Amino acid sequence: MMNKAFAVTLDPATSLENHTGSWRTLRPENVFKLPPCNKQCPAGENIQQWLYYAAEGNYEMAWRFLTENNPFPACMGRVCYHTCEGKCNRGFLDEAVGINSVERFLGDYAIEHKLSFKRPAKDTGKKVLIIGAGPGGLSAAYHLRRFGHSVHVLEAGAEPGGMMRYGIPVYRLPRNILDAEIARITDMGVTIECNHKVEDIEAEKKKGGYDAVIITTGAGISSNVDIPEGDTNHILNALNVLGEIETKGNIEIARRVAVYGGGNTAVDVARSLRRLGAEPIIVYRRNRDKMPANEEEMDAAIAEGIQVKWLSTITGATKESLKIEKMKLDESGYPQPTGEYEELPADAVVLAIGQNVDKSILDKLQGLKVERDAIVIDPETNETSVPGVFAAGDVASAKDRTVTLAIGMGKNTARSIHAYLRGVKYKKQPKNEDARFEDMHPWYYTDAPKTVRPELELARRTNTFDEVQYGLTEENAIYEARRCLSCGNCMECDNCYGVCPDNAIRKLGAGKGYEFNYDYCKGCGVCAQECPCGHIHMVPEKI
Amino acid sequence: MSTEQIEGSLGVAKAVSLCKPGVVCAYPISPQTHIVENLGKFVKSGALKHCEYLNVESEFAAMSVAIGSSAGGVRTYTATASQGLLFMAEAVYSASGLGLPIVMTVASRAIGGPINIWNDHSDSLSQRDSGWLQLFCESNQDAVDTHIMAFKIAEKVGLPVMVCMDGFVLTHAFERLNLPSQEQVDAFLPKYEPREFLTPKEPISIGSMVGPEAFTEVRLLQQRKMLSSLQVIEDVTKEYREITGQHSGGLLDCYNCENADLKLIILGSSVGTAKDEIDRLKAQGINVGLISLKAYRPFPYAALKAAVGNSSQVVCVERAFSFGARGIICPEVKRALEGTSTKVCTALAGLGGRAIYGSTINGIVKHALDGKFKDEFTWFDIDTKVLNSYTRNALGITFPEGPIAESELEATLLRA
Repeated sequence: MMNKAFAVTLDPATSLENHTGSWRTLRPENVFKLPPCNKQCPAGENIQQWLYYAAEGNYEMAWRFLTENNPFPACMGRVCYHTCEGKCNRGFLDEAVGINSVERFLGDYAIEHKLSFKRPAKDTGKKVLIIGAGPGGLSAAYHLRRFGHSVHVLEAGAEPGGMMRYGIPVYRLPRNILDAEIARITDMGVTIECNHKVEDIEAEKKKGGYDAVIITTGAGISSNVDIPEGDTNHILNALNVLGEIETKGNIEIARRVAVYGGGNTAVDVARSLRRLGAEPIIVYRRNRDKMPANEEEMDAAIAEGIQVKWLSTITGATKESLKIEKMKLDESGYPQPTGEYEELPADAVVLAIGQNVDKSILDKLQGLKVERDAIVIDPETNETSVPGVFAAGDVASAKDRTVTLAIGMGKNTARSIHAYLRGVKYKKQPKNEDARFEDMHPWYYTDAPKTVRPELELARRTNTFDEVQYGLTEENAIYEARRCLSCGNCMECDNCYGVCPDNAIRKLGAGKGYEFNYDYCKGCGVCAQECPCGHIHMVPEKI
Repeated sequence: MSTEQIEGSLGVAKAVSLCKPGVVCAYPISPQTHIVENLGKFVKSGALKHCEYLNVESEFAAMSVAIGSSAGGVRTYTATASQGLLFMAEAVYSASGLGLPIVMTVASRAIGGPINIWNDHSDSLSQRDSGWLQLFCESNQDAVDTHIMAFKIAEKVGLPVMVCMDGFVLTHAFERLNLPSQEQVDAFLPKYEPREFLTPKEPISIGSMVGPEAFTEVRLLQQRKMLSSLQVIEDVTKEYREITGQHSGGLLDCYNCENADLKLIILGSSVGTAKDEIDRLKAQGINVGLISLKAYRPFPYAALKAAVGNSSQVVCVERAFSFGARGIICPEVKRALEGTSTKVCTALAGLGGRAIYGSTINGIVKHALDGKFKDEFTWFDIDTKVLNSYTRNALGITFPEGPIAESELEATLLRA
């Protein structure tokens, strides 16, 4: 037995009588913040959340959380322009997390392992008609079906997918991937009727006894521009070219083709024609800085040998050449004619200068408000000016037309209709405060450069539509997911648990996080200082 | 027993090594550095086995490590001086409050500023109330022996011990030293058996908070230990002297005290100088006694009273003082002699390395015998020329040649 000193030496746990938490003037609290990736994602994915499960190696769980918001991870992991990565806080440290590549890995994993969506537990008996089986329509169908509503989709084309099928070339999105992700939605009980062009929305609604309608007809008409042309020079439009390549696998066009425009569609057309043996040249009226096309896609086009004629407009076409006027940018960045002309040898022109909404069916719906090439919708509910008729995707978005946004709009519309069908007005959930890099303590993160995805070698890209970009291996994907800083959300690193000088943090077990023991927490704030991801706030106590 | 002509620091290192400490934590500061350097060499060469030698990042760390290892039940040693002692001050108090029998050498050195590396007693005496035993050494032989005794005293009492030896004057002086053999030390100093220590087998918390409900009682018990150490020091000294035949340690030591009407009280290395001068004075027929004060904490009031006896005058030769007050040793002596008619005063000398020569002692004795110590406190070894070279122009005052009594210093405030 020890000869213990009076008062100074204590038996185990006896000091627990001193509830030193009463000394506290500041209290630590866990805060859940909105990571910049989540905030940016047009589809509203909780990226940080699914990266957490991917980083744990629980790919199915990661995929389940991902598909809470987006039923097309394998497609998105290929065609999304991943603006989330541009906002990623890891960019302040080294390079953004390769979110897009992990998303694709999860999408491919789910296809490979034949993961399916759960069918709704019970049917509500409500019927919703969706017009157009593009990304917006299918996203809405998926979410509505999850709510237990009965969903029928009418599609004018021969196959579902919309622009994912008839706009995006195969080398970016192999069709077996698209088919697999659409099949998963129809497996839930969503019915899709193809080759059915809706002429009268009101009549279709009445005929089928639908409780609500969503218009997701897209923007499928190429914009035209008047080019004085000679007899034999072909002038075609981009969507027809891409559609024909999709359905026939080839297109008879010409050797020297000018693709007119600077958007993503122009790049898709040029790269597709290159694969068919043509020598496309992109003609664009402004310069590279002002070009709306995605930078990575444009880099790939140039790498594949596609030429670009910058600061040029086509003012006329003859049999074997185009008349080009040189442009210069004015102070506000708009192209202005210079009066200088040159000849550009070309046998055909493909117009890729924009896409418009097919107004013919919209005009027939009484009371439907359409402005500047898009249906006017309530930004909160996505409802049109016609009660019970909603719209999503390109047809309801004149400014930003991407697959990702369409998927997000489809989700939001489904939620809104779910409320509408219960007689409630939908309100979007308030967002958490932003997770800012300045509020994080990145000292704890080790350097880890971004994984570069391998690509099909350049030489093979001129004669095949094989997918250009490859996916990540499991090893790479888990590494990439682990690069996530978990901005503003707990990743259970144990830092707070380890540094607390009062042992006042309880560990609740894997996935359950921690809890503060306010009986003993003196509010020193070390946990908040040492939390890498800024998940702990010090809040003044009411004294 | 072996006899060697070595540096004081090496002698102390060898003495500490003979005590087989389990932990030595070291941070260099002059004039203590050679002691821990030598201990480091012993550990590296294997001469000192089963000892963790820790290079730490500061004196605060040194004392913190010492507290940790001592609380872990290990015999622990460290050394410091001057600013280093002040830097570790917080932990110094903790060590005594926890009753940890750490032994620490203080190679006494003046405290800055202005910065000064030479010897006086302002560092060790600043820790007067730290709850440590403070044992002063008058020679390197005394230092060697006192270190060995210090471990036994500390472990018997359950309090830490500072062994105070004058910096440079002792630490860097080469002298003939008698070192006891390992067998002698082993027979004298048993293996350390801590009364309480941290072990996972029987978990306890050492050093918990104590509130107003028991703090006074904790202090009373600490004081009781300190009081008990007076007897322990005497017992241990007796035992050590019997084993080694040395004449070191003790609460105090008297020299030529029989029938001396004037006695000097001195701490540390000046004792040797004083003894020589007292011999010379005796040859001239002047009888002066010398009390070498070994234990400053605990203060041996009774022993001192007995040593002074019925002398009519006592002069404390002090190498530190208290700003705004007077000497530091003198008030303790006055307490010891309360109720007697003995006159007690301070002769302040030897600050910041100013040498105390035989002539200094001689001057003090003459000053005392001539009845010139009119105040309790006198600046004895003042260099009037140096002082006046500044005050004449800057303050418009000059001091007369010789020692300056406190009242004379106060009078200059009226003159200015």
